[in-house]
Amino acid sequence: MLKKGDIILVGIIVLGILMGFGWNRFNASNDTGNIAVIKQNDRVIKRINLDTINKPEKVEILGDYKEVVLVEKGRIRFEDADCPDKVCVKTGWLSNKGDIAVCLPNKAMIKIEGESERLDGVAY
Amino acid sequence: MKSTRRLVLLALLVSQALILSVVESWIPIPIPIPGVKLGLANIITLVTIIFFGYREALLVVLVRCLLSSMFGGGFVIFLFSMAGGILSTLVMAFLYNKISRVFSIVGVSIAGAVMHNVGQLAVASVFMKDLSVMYYLPVLLVSGVIMGCFVGICSKLLVSALQRSKALQ
Repeated sequence: MLKKGDIILVGIIVLGILMGFGWNRFNASNDTGNIAVIKQNDRVIKRINLDTINKPEKVEILGDYKEVVLVEKGRIRFEDADCPDKVCVKTGWLSNKGDIAVCLPNKAMIKIEGESERLDGVAY
Repeated sequence: MKSTRRLVLLALLVSQALILSVVESWIPIPIPIPGVKLGLANIITLVTIIFFGYREALLVVLVRCLLSSMFGGGFVIFLFSMAGGILSTLVMAFLYNKISRVFSIVGVSIAGAVMHNVGQLAVASVFMKDLSVMYYLPVLLVSGVIMGCFVGICSKLLVSALQRSKALQ
């Protein structure tokens, strides 16, 4: 039933999958992520250093939909959203560098960056 | 084939694709990643490519996406399913027409599912203006291969049944 092309095709895709996972791991291993970035419409709403959070904090994202982001020491998540699919809430807690949670309908996302990337905005 | 008959058959295919996407939305998927889905409507896309051609398949996909986003989802969802749908239909039609000796229906379907995910992710990264959405790519590729395989087997069974019954000839 399967032909030669099928096997080659799946082989190429599996190679791509392994490379993708490898790339994600490589990115995550540089250092421990502790800067959470909340973005919407390509605009950074808030940058939070997750190591310095002592008591839980909430951040609201407004837009087409309303979302509540919950921040605790070392981790962050979409706690609640009124968007149709709620994929962002189901993603759960983010705590490692490279982790992302996305809400497409609201163009909002949280991602965790490493400490080194704090230098992104510095101009010399 | 007479044009009225063709029109009716294509309309039937659109409605079947719509039903499949409704049924699909009832089945919960435990993976919380935007874009992971069963892709059952791809069965109809494949059947349309095989019995009619890529133009008709594109038409069926377009009408299906338009109607299903009207039923629920809205404009953003339409944009994503459209991008994935068109890309996967073109790739599947190309593979099926040009090199069907090399690929079986299952292979064509896997390629289609994977391109569906790639297309959606590409639109997502443009839409969010952030490349880190690509983080999801490997997981989406895994789900594409598994679901493409399943959809391919379903399509193969449906195609042979349709060929026997001569319903679409």
